[in-house]
Amino acid sequence: MPATDLYLDRPTFVHRLDPRLKLAGLTALFVSCLAFTHPVYIAAAAFCVAILAASARSLSNLWRMRFLLVLLFVFSGLLWCLFTRGRTPLFPGWPSFISRESALYGLGTGLRLASMVAAGLVFVSVTRVEEFSLALQRLGVPFVITFAFTTAFRLVPALLASAGTVVEAQRSRGLDLESGSIFSRLLRHLPLLVPVMVSAIRNIDLMAMALESRGFRASPRRTSLIQLHMRGSDWIALLLCLGLVGGSLWLRLTGHGAVAGLR
Amino acid sequence: MSPGAHLSGGLPAVGLRDVGFTYQGQGGPALDSVSLDIQPGECLAVLGPSGAGKSTLSRTLNGLIPQFQYGELSGSATIFGQDTARTRVPELARRVGLVFQDFESQLFATSVELEVAFAAENFGLPPDEIRARVSDSLGLVGLSGHERRHPAVLSGGEKQRLAIAAVLAGGPDLLVLDEATTDLDPVGRAEVLALLRALSAGGREKPSTIVFATCDAEEAALAQRAVLLHSGRLEADEAATKMLADPGRLEAHGVRPPDLAGLFAALSLPERPREAAEAAGALQQRGLAVDRQAWDSLLSKEAAARPQGGPAVEVAGVSYSYPDGTRALSGISLTIQQGDFIALVGPNGSGKTTLAKHFNRLLEPTEGELRIGGKPGRAQSRLELARRVGYVFQNPDHQIFADTVRDEVAFGPRNFGLPEAEVRARVGQALDAVHLSGREQEDPFSLTKGERQRVAVASMLAARPEIMVFDEPTTGLDYRESRSMMDLIRELHLAGHTVIIITHSMWVVAEYAHRMVLMHEGRILADEPVRDALGKAGLLAQASLIAPPISQLGAVLGHPFRSVAEAAAVLGAR
Repeated sequence: MPATDLYLDRPTFVHRLDPRLKLAGLTALFVSCLAFTHPVYIAAAAFCVAILAASARSLSNLWRMRFLLVLLFVFSGLLWCLFTRGRTPLFPGWPSFISRESALYGLGTGLRLASMVAAGLVFVSVTRVEEFSLALQRLGVPFVITFAFTTAFRLVPALLASAGTVVEAQRSRGLDLESGSIFSRLLRHLPLLVPVMVSAIRNIDLMAMALESRGFRASPRRTSLIQLHMRGSDWIALLLCLGLVGGSLWLRLTGHGAVAGLR
Repeated sequence: MSPGAHLSGGLPAVGLRDVGFTYQGQGGPALDSVSLDIQPGECLAVLGPSGAGKSTLSRTLNGLIPQFQYGELSGSATIFGQDTARTRVPELARRVGLVFQDFESQLFATSVELEVAFAAENFGLPPDEIRARVSDSLGLVGLSGHERRHPAVLSGGEKQRLAIAAVLAGGPDLLVLDEATTDLDPVGRAEVLALLRALSAGGREKPSTIVFATCDAEEAALAQRAVLLHSGRLEADEAATKMLADPGRLEAHGVRPPDLAGLFAALSLPERPREAAEAAGALQQRGLAVDRQAWDSLLSKEAAARPQGGPAVEVAGVSYSYPDGTRALSGISLTIQQGDFIALVGPNGSGKTTLAKHFNRLLEPTEGELRIGGKPGRAQSRLELARRVGYVFQNPDHQIFADTVRDEVAFGPRNFGLPEAEVRARVGQALDAVHLSGREQEDPFSLTKGERQRVAVASMLAARPEIMVFDEPTTGLDYRESRSMMDLIRELHLAGHTVIIITHSMWVVAEYAHRMVLMHEGRILADEPVRDALGKAGLLAQASLIAPPISQLGAVLGHPFRSVAEAAAVLGAR
């Protein structure tokens, strides 16, 4: 049966980190990606993501999502490359609308977006939804909100599966979703929308009843099977995160890591 | 007083006084003045057809009715003295656990142990206690060692046992199961029933009080006491053995009677055996045996009915892997003749549906070839195949979208671009065939599940396909609805269509199909006439199947029967 989410249950030290630390690590990587625009600096951040993915034995998930990552890289790179203007032509004698600076900037933003998505993928590969929810609770978010939030995550695969069945059911009745103009194709999606919504509402209703029946919000103080403890490795990881954020900000504020010469 | 009564200070586990409930916006009541006392330690079966009020009763016991589902409640319902209308559902959950029929929607965690921990976490128990309860509950349902697996990768029987463990970990004194075995394959179902038997036998402190709703009388045999619901009213409340001894009454109330009791009643014999061996002994004592002549004429009639046409579907060396690499089919070869009536059977996840989806190119084989109607599948467009191969999905709600029954059924023919007069004629004929004529203007969503299933069949019929695939045509239907659905499929078969059904329901296979294709882990384990396969318990067990009791009796007697009626007809004085 195909896997329903991206979590990979592997015995690595990254998996064993406190989920709050995983969240901190994700934030630190985001900060260091956003701090710079120069591709070399962002490549350093991307390298961190890759090291992390390898040590969490989660490269397979990045591979699974390779099309998405490449697509983001190419498209955002090209767009930014075309929409920014620089001073130096890319090669002597080339037309001026693609400059050396805009090419660097495009490369940087493409890499940035792909690295941030990859960092997010590593995060979901090493963090169970329940751990994520617990980390948010410890950071002060009420359980009901974290539960609603994480449930939304879990409903996506279920919704996709039911949508897949509906598509097959209507195709068996001769529904043709492939030919015709965009407008007529959109119109033909109507027979999909109704059954998907109806079964989603039915399932959500049932799930809500199952939750209540198992004591959802029975006690004001909810406990958890998963226990969060900051261990030595978590403190080291926290220092690394702080170092990454501090270092990135310091470099950027002292004038490093930006593409110079953009107009 | 029952042995467990002292545990609760003499209070009954369940006390219903004239309980009635009418859902908001519904005309008639779903429950109608039901009074029922259940003592701690009792195991009660609630029997009844769909619409009888089994789910309503189950949900009244844990307060979902009237707190979650709106409507009008009359009378009073108490659980261990607590009023279910006044105590919040999550609070009642400490005493009452409810297991639902649909095992997919009631699981929501990402690992088995977190699923089971959920209730105990909600009650704010200390982590050590939660851990202990998780391990106890998993041990009880036989899922120890699966703690870190994702619930989605478990089999159907495992999922339902997980759902039961998740409820047990909350430590309820009363366990309520609402048709918890309906969607399971025969072995998954046997697993859950064995678990219920162990739980009701006690030995453990709790929960020894069990209420389970079912529309299959064979299951009620594990209870001491049974009640029969019909249109929301309590028709009978007596010892389970007494209830099961009257197959006529059960059938009259839309409940499938136990096979062996049904046979003995049909033969006007007083015994009500539960096991095949016991039944065989009783028949022998009475001097009854299979009449050779009647049996032979039965077999020759069956042989004459074998299809004579050419191949309708030819599958040659087909393998299929999902995009993520999971292999679902390996080297399947199968020829389906025109006029065949085939049952594709096997455990959940054995590849039955995956195979059938190749017949109309919903899936393309990774390796191998298919020929449909003598032409290669690849050479025919999906639209062409949709006219040749009809496919009715398991859940009619996955396809119904139109505002009227007519538009729903007309969807296929309109997709084929047929003129409106032709569409109209086909819709009329199709609705006639499924006995829904005159209901053209109704909203399909206001129909019962059985009727919606018929609408789905009609919308397939309107395409006039030669080959028809029915995926779980009786799931979610009660005995009477299942019978009428299967009688309808039989009519279509007699009218010349090639029929393929995918099902877990062994009595359906035994009575209706002609040929059984057993699948297991993506391969064909056996392909035999239904009667031959029914006599091979070992072979069936390999595919997680169990023959219906009447066929088991037949196997003991050396003449595998396909139905109670058939057995009653050939058994006579020696």
